[in-house]
Amino acid sequence: MGAGAAGRGAGGQAAEVRVLQAALAAEQAAIYGYGVVGAHLSGTGLGAATADWTAHQEAADRLMAEQRARGVTPAPAAVAYQLPHHVGTARQAIALAELLEERVTSAYLGLVALPSADLRMLGARQVRAAALRAAAWRGTTVAFPGLTVQALARAARSR
Amino acid sequence: MASDPTRRAIVAAAAALPVLIAGCKGTQALGTPPGPAPDVARLRAAIRAEQDLVASYQAVLQRLSGGRGAQRAVLTAVLTEHQDHLQQLRKRLIAGSPLAAGSGPLPRPEAAALPAGARQALSVLIRAERAASDRLLSQVPEVPPALAQLFASISASEATHVIALHAAGGA
Repeated sequence: MGAGAAGRGAGGQAAEVRVLQAALAAEQAAIYGYGVVGAHLSGTGLGAATADWTAHQEAADRLMAEQRARGVTPAPAAVAYQLPHHVGTARQAIALAELLEERVTSAYLGLVALPSADLRMLGARQVRAAALRAAAWRGTTVAFPGLTVQALARAARSR
Repeated sequence: MASDPTRRAIVAAAAALPVLIAGCKGTQALGTPPGPAPDVARLRAAIRAEQDLVASYQAVLQRLSGGRGAQRAVLTAVLTEHQDHLQQLRKRLIAGSPLAAGSGPLPRPEAAALPAGARQALSVLIRAERAASDRLLSQVPEVPPALAQLFASISASEATHVIALHAAGGA
């Protein structure tokens, strides 16, 4: 692993585990959510939901492996998740898929701020993958995937 | 340009000058000014890349004036996002302006050379987006955390532009 000096200490490792767990929680919620999304879609929409569900499964596996490599047992997924809004139509299912991807994008930005170069790159690649999936569902692009206006303002001050 | 970041950065750096000179000894104060810190150089490179992308989109939009409405709508939306990227990147440079002292003004924006034909022009934009996205992604481990997050987010945005341009008729 390419962990920097701050990433090798106990505090650095604790931060890594915390951020990995937050990303895993977002992935687990997405896996659950895509089950709901797929149930309301058919044809190409269902195909896309299935492909995205698989991508989230693989990403969750990677995050669990990263946690185990740090001697930590990953927290299991919840049995069920409270959906952010009612999903009864294809349109609502697509809106849920967008939201799931936006949350995953934000969670991976946490990895990008860690000292470890490897975890930063893992985070950045997943930010890109989630932004691509979100844009595909949304049909439009955004300037700052995963970042809110407030986060941008805070970061500009911290530079 | 009134909002030129370099001018503002230099003004901010000049305000800090007495402190810098006071900290130097003898002729060292007259020596070659140090280059910008590496992450400032990367930030300046990112600003330059965004400036060039903005110029390229403006050039393509001008070329396609009177073209397909849907295609123009996509290009205009993406141009706006690049202008937002540029604004955010410039904000980071100004905030760190003392580090930017001695790095000189940024070059003028330069649009990519555009071939004839809408489809070919869009292909140039697609290549430019891919290159910009990959460059920012590769620099994520090299810059401070907050800048790394901004680079990762902009890199992701630029990757989505590639898909949008393909859908708008780019090859």
